[in-house]
Amino acid sequence: METSSNQAEFDYLFKLLMIGDSGVGKSSLLLSFTSDTFEDLSPTIGVDFKVKYVNVGGKKLKLAIWDTAGQERFRTLTSSYYRGAQGIIMVYDVTRRETFTNLSEIWAKEIELYSTNQDCIKMLVGNKVDKESDRVVTKKEGINFARECGCLFIECSAKTRVNVQQCFEELVLKILDTPSLLADGSRGVKKNIFKERPPQSDIASTSSCC
Amino acid sequence: MGRRHRLKVACSAQALGSTSNAMATTSFLTPTQRYAAGALLALALHQAQINQTRPLGGSFPDDETSDDRTSSGSSADSVADDPDLWVHEVSGLLRPVFRFLEIDSVAWSGLEETAGSSPAKHHVGAFLRLLAEENDGNSSQNSDQELALSKAVDAMWRSMEKSPESSESKKEKHREYETECREKCSTAEVQSNLEASSANMEVQPKTEGNILPLEDAVDGSSSKGDENPIEEVTMLGYQRKVTVLYVLLSACLADTHEDNKKGTRKRKGYDARHRVALRLLATWLDVKWIKMEAMETMVACSAMALAKKEESSEEQPQSSNTKWAKWKRGGIIGAAALTGGTLLAVTGGLAAPAIAAGLSALAPTLGTLIPVIGASGFAAAAGAAGTVAGSVAVAASFGAAGAGLTGSKMARRTGNVDEFEFRAIGENHNQGRLAVEIMISGLVFDEEDFVRPWEVQSDNLERYVLQWESKNLIAVSTAIQDWLTSRLAIELMTRGAMMTVLSTLMAALAWPATLIAAADFIDSKWTIAVDRSDKAGKLLAEVLLKGVHGNRPVTLVGYSLGARVIFKCLQFLAENENNAELVERVVLLGAPISIKDEKWGAARKMVAGRLVNAYSTNDWTLGLAFRASLLSQGLAGIQPVDVPGIENVDVTDLIEGHSSYLWATQHIIELLDLDTYYPVFRGSKRIE
Repeated sequence: METSSNQAEFDYLFKLLMIGDSGVGKSSLLLSFTSDTFEDLSPTIGVDFKVKYVNVGGKKLKLAIWDTAGQERFRTLTSSYYRGAQGIIMVYDVTRRETFTNLSEIWAKEIELYSTNQDCIKMLVGNKVDKESDRVVTKKEGINFARECGCLFIECSAKTRVNVQQCFEELVLKILDTPSLLADGSRGVKKNIFKERPPQSDIASTSSCC
Repeated sequence: MGRRHRLKVACSAQALGSTSNAMATTSFLTPTQRYAAGALLALALHQAQINQTRPLGGSFPDDETSDDRTSSGSSADSVADDPDLWVHEVSGLLRPVFRFLEIDSVAWSGLEETAGSSPAKHHVGAFLRLLAEENDGNSSQNSDQELALSKAVDAMWRSMEKSPESSESKKEKHREYETECREKCSTAEVQSNLEASSANMEVQPKTEGNILPLEDAVDGSSSKGDENPIEEVTMLGYQRKVTVLYVLLSACLADTHEDNKKGTRKRKGYDARHRVALRLLATWLDVKWIKMEAMETMVACSAMALAKKEESSEEQPQSSNTKWAKWKRGGIIGAAALTGGTLLAVTGGLAAPAIAAGLSALAPTLGTLIPVIGASGFAAAAGAAGTVAGSVAVAASFGAAGAGLTGSKMARRTGNVDEFEFRAIGENHNQGRLAVEIMISGLVFDEEDFVRPWEVQSDNLERYVLQWESKNLIAVSTAIQDWLTSRLAIELMTRGAMMTVLSTLMAALAWPATLIAAADFIDSKWTIAVDRSDKAGKLLAEVLLKGVHGNRPVTLVGYSLGARVIFKCLQFLAENENNAELVERVVLLGAPISIKDEKWGAARKMVAGRLVNAYSTNDWTLGLAFRASLLSQGLAGIQPVDVPGIENVDVTDLIEGHSSYLWATQHIIELLDLDTYYPVFRGSKRIE
């Protein structure tokens, strides 16, 4: 997967959503993916948004990634972001078991309740594998849970960037494999309510791509 | 929190050189609540921009189709790619608000994208729930403040509500005016219409036939009012709602812009788009608009109080001269306005920038609160009202108030217009009102016709009429009138021909020779008047662009050639502006404006809120005067304008002839209920 140089042109636009408990590393994972950096982040407020242009499977893709706050007080907010997402990334911390169990007890149910896309691709991500000595959730458990709820699975580390690119790439490839999702994300469906012209190329995106 | 506060003060210190403890306002709400409040404003702002071209209303029940089009989430591009969006960074509308609310800057783009990428209704409920969250920690103090603030707002609101007697006497006056007008100008038209109609055996009840449409309008508004029933609203207490709106209003007025070369927003002050968004938000929250107006006055007055305090502490002799020097030095008013000030001294003391009067408007209001909420509560309320002042740009947007507008009298010398003057009317001057209304007559027989059609209106705006080109207007109006009373016209009308004439004109068929001859009679005068109205429109635009009205949102209402002035003003703005920063609402009545030849779309973009075109399908006087080849291109005053976002309203039932606008305008404006966010007018035929 390589970062696309031309930001204005893309074949598909996919909306991805990241959910999971507070502190599991959703924002770090996203930052690691979009700008190849890792830093200690303060808890996300409400919802964050990042854009990343990538080339996958010969297609130019624009990924609009919504990173939601895991904190309880913002949970009410998250529900409205499931709508229209083609991919949902469920993140847990391999060193904190409750973040794993909460995925089945809380987050999976949220998806059931709020996702509008029947075929939307789900991906289970175990983060923080760099802390192998503190690990309490085994890879086997992760695989089993992923199979149970029919989603992709990967373990990664935002800090060491192990498997970070792969995580998003696998998800995107799967979306590309799913015709109903493709129809959603194709340029033909793209609608700008104010004008029907494509986005101007001379406006550099202020989002943190490249 | 404390740390942030200090930061905040530092960054807004340049605001009028004041560094008061302004930031306390934001501490009314918890950080989470402020985040939610910022989000709601963002959602409202984006929704308002959508509604510019896709108005909501009863005839589009909940607009499910549009929902499907925009909501597949993924299909909308990101906000960052579209600088024309009001929620985009360069519009300068949202980020200063976020900054004022002390929302962490990492959350800004998320909020902008949320507002811009999906329909507001998907998110409004969730953010309202966030807003309803209980205050943690110092909750009792916060709820005391909320209580005090909402009491203050209520008191202010009650003081603004018009006493029924005064409006009754005004209505009486207006009835007299109507009678006078009818005697003076419409005898021929009306009588002949009467004769014609009796000849056709279709007698219409005339004067009081207006009652029915009024009821209809009320029904219409109620069904439209609940267009957005959001259950979460019930979770929010009234005091919380008021507090949120007050804080957001303060944030919109606050001078927390950072120098941003990229920004497209040119001025400080109260942006019309902000006001439209607040109006929508108040609708969502089910808070009456007049309460928002009460809040506006509170913010304005407290800001002025602060400015005044600083002024007196600067050990300057308090002569009005130095005051003016100070205002001028601050770049607040231009030289023309300064001259206007001296002119105004004659017309009743508008000159002194509304400060003193504005203060005295607020003081007794707060005074009446003491028995209600106790002395400590009063302190809290006064504090609540006052704390915002430090960083608020109101004084800047506002200092020159009336003086500014009347100052623009000077501009006419450059504009090739003989007469162009603003006259203050209504009781809302020097009251700290944060929105301006300019009303423009078109058909006038007498100088008083510039003023009297607008006198009864009882909204809470600071109201001005524009007196322009009275000589030419009176000439053309009289010519039309003379022709109407001529034997030929009466004969035509008696034969009931006129009603069919209009459809003939519209169909661009050949004109009856008699009519052409008749029209020549008024043609030359009409041509001059049209030309002058175009120039006056340009002048009006220049006045607004200069901000001499005090950088406050403007509502423009005009009939006949006055409507043309407004339209030309919008067109001229469109050549100079890229957004709807200045004009909040527009009502055109019986407008002599071609539909196909003019850039309606561009004009629409200059209006942040509603743009109404009121037309009468049997206004054949207008059709006759405007005739020429242009009629085949369509005429706004007699038919709907097929441009997205224009609210077309058929007032045929309320208008007997073109001159009826002199006295019927008032009633039409009432039916339009301009303070409603959504299009209101029973029987309106909007086109999309």
